[in-house]
Amino acid sequence: MTQQMLTRRQMLKLLLASGSTAALAACGAATTTQTPTSPPANDEAETGAPAVVSEPGSTVNITYWGSFSGNLGEAEQAMVSSFNAAQSDVVVDYQFQGNYEETAQKFTAGLQANTIPDVILLSDVWWFSFYVAGMISQLDSLAQAEGVDFSDYEPALLNEGVRQGKHFWIPFARSTPLFYYNKEIWAEVGLPDRAPETWAEFEEWAPQLIEREGTTMRRAAYVHPNGASYIAWLFQPVVWQHGGQYSTDDFTMTMTDSDTLRAAQFFQDSARSNGWATLVPDINTDFIGGTAASMMASTGSLAGLTSNAPFDVGVGFLPKETNFGCCTGGAGLAIPSGAPAEKQQAAMKFIAFVTNVEQAGVWARNTGYMPVRISTKATPDMVNFFNENPNFKTAVDQLPLTQAQDAARVFVRNGDQIIGKGLERIIINGEDPSTVFTDVNAELTRVAEPILEDLREVEG
Amino acid sequence: MPSPRERHEWLLFVLLIGPNLALFAVFTYWPLIYNFYLSFVRWNFLRPTKPFVGLDNYANVFSSAQFWTIVTNTFVFAFFSVGLTLIIGLALALLINQPLRYRNTARAVLFSPVIMSGAVVAVVWSYIFDPRYGLIDQFLRPLGIASPNWLSDPAWAMPAVIIVYVWKNLGYAVVIYLAGLQGIPRELYEAARVDGAGPWARFWHVTLPGLSPIAFFLSVTSVLATFQAFDIIKVLTDGGPVISTTTLIYHLYTLGFVSYDAGQAGVVAVVLFMIMLVLTIIQIRYLEQRVNYG
Repeated sequence: MTQQMLTRRQMLKLLLASGSTAALAACGAATTTQTPTSPPANDEAETGAPAVVSEPGSTVNITYWGSFSGNLGEAEQAMVSSFNAAQSDVVVDYQFQGNYEETAQKFTAGLQANTIPDVILLSDVWWFSFYVAGMISQLDSLAQAEGVDFSDYEPALLNEGVRQGKHFWIPFARSTPLFYYNKEIWAEVGLPDRAPETWAEFEEWAPQLIEREGTTMRRAAYVHPNGASYIAWLFQPVVWQHGGQYSTDDFTMTMTDSDTLRAAQFFQDSARSNGWATLVPDINTDFIGGTAASMMASTGSLAGLTSNAPFDVGVGFLPKETNFGCCTGGAGLAIPSGAPAEKQQAAMKFIAFVTNVEQAGVWARNTGYMPVRISTKATPDMVNFFNENPNFKTAVDQLPLTQAQDAARVFVRNGDQIIGKGLERIIINGEDPSTVFTDVNAELTRVAEPILEDLREVEG
Repeated sequence: MPSPRERHEWLLFVLLIGPNLALFAVFTYWPLIYNFYLSFVRWNFLRPTKPFVGLDNYANVFSSAQFWTIVTNTFVFAFFSVGLTLIIGLALALLINQPLRYRNTARAVLFSPVIMSGAVVAVVWSYIFDPRYGLIDQFLRPLGIASPNWLSDPAWAMPAVIIVYVWKNLGYAVVIYLAGLQGIPRELYEAARVDGAGPWARFWHVTLPGLSPIAFFLSVTSVLATFQAFDIIKVLTDGGPVISTTTLIYHLYTLGFVSYDAGQAGVVAVVLFMIMLVLTIIQIRYLEQRVNYG
């Protein structure tokens, strides 16, 4: 009987193995599932209640909810372990919660059930919702007690989490868009080994990069992500480059401004009348598979793309149009309000550690996220790393030129998807940008209304 | 005044039915009622208060241009998914019902997609559909046919989702049909043959009427299941491109758990509930009259 069981199990294993091999062979392309602002996530989410409050004077146990799995998760766990080893006051328990969206959803549910973590990783489009709801703490006094020097944090990253002069969201896994190109294809068609300076220059190059077979485009010069994989994040800098914006700081939507519309027309033409770009759900797959010669994607994908692509990956600053423009993205750390003071202070100790000059460098080197500290760039380890990875140097050099995204995408709940779906209508359906963005403008305005009400309550 | 015996029976009834009723009340009826309430308030899951907004949520949902496209998508998806599953399932069941070699193997193969995770199925199919390196393209290319841009073209995305859904659920229909086919009395076929009925006549007058309760059962359960189909759509298309594969249940998810608008999500849940209620009543009232329970 045992014998038979074993054989059957072995056969199942064999079947599974051969099945997945066949499936992989059929696809014929290595893939990463990384999307611009969310790291790869698997489904081993673990929800746990926060640790019990400890006796005063003893070790404080705190829970940290994060969104990193795979390589990023290992880097994160290593950082938590070195924190736990470096001191004896606080023990951090890292709990993976799924991607950024799932982490925020679980936090929301946890707030209802009163089981919340002591530190939480929140993405650029999520922290503000919890801020407005009064669910995350002001960190200034906590930071002061830990001796955190805010003046050494990259201002473009730090200031995004500041409201009315107070810090609520500390930059941690922050990224920016970067222009990626396939050096092999670039060399094959005789282009200079660099990213295009301007979009006009790229449009001159594009026809040489395209490969067609009959009416089917076998290789696109450039690839856009779809709405679900955050096209609105990558369209943000393009809008600025054209002199437009999504909205003003006071939440007035400006989707129908002529320069914003000009940028939308540019995206539409890229995929339709000029026909050098395609739009796919996972741009990294197309880039690695060689079916797209270039793309804009997160700096957070740099390490993954470099190791997975079977060709040399080139990177550069984003191309200019009227101006240069580049936004920030990614996630930062926050401390939920309502936890005992002792736990909040312990949480701040952890945040201070993972964003200190040395650890910010370890994290950046292991993941490809931006070093959040200014002095990290001058540390010997980082200088060596830059010499070995000039692409990463390029990404970091672009950082001082970046700015925080417009309120319409990051502060309006689902603003990212509202703009993203609008861009899909423009690019895929070929609808008139002005008609579509009139709709988008109206929807953003409607959705922003209750947020503004809450904001007035919170900020006066 | 009830007799002790009546009281005893009543007590037994409550004891037996009570636990089930309590579970249904907590996990089915209460959420249902609470959802009706949520559809009349404004709430983002985070606010401490839920201000009453009357019919505002309903007005917002119904006045959105997308909503009617989404309702249409839902019915198109349900109609073709159920229709194709029932027709192809019947054809395959009739085939497998023949005394062929490898019949059991074929049955197992056909049923295997049913037990697979919808998310896994969707991931594999997303590679099969890829217009540049996908399996379908590999077959079409030698024939000189360009593969449609399945998942990125709004015109092809819904057919793609329907294909995957039917492929995944076909096996279930086949197995149920097979059970039905084996339940039709042999004598009926013999009697028909004696009366001079050919294969077609036997199919129309014996097999189909004999299968009608099974087909009815399948149509009810399949329609209900398609209205709740989520995993394949989420993984395969995320409701896109644009909103071409967004169904009511996907819309509900987006409004509730992406936009954090509990009120509007509540409205969509109410709409979905009403549609399912009406469909089930129609099916039970009208379809059942035509079912021959033999």
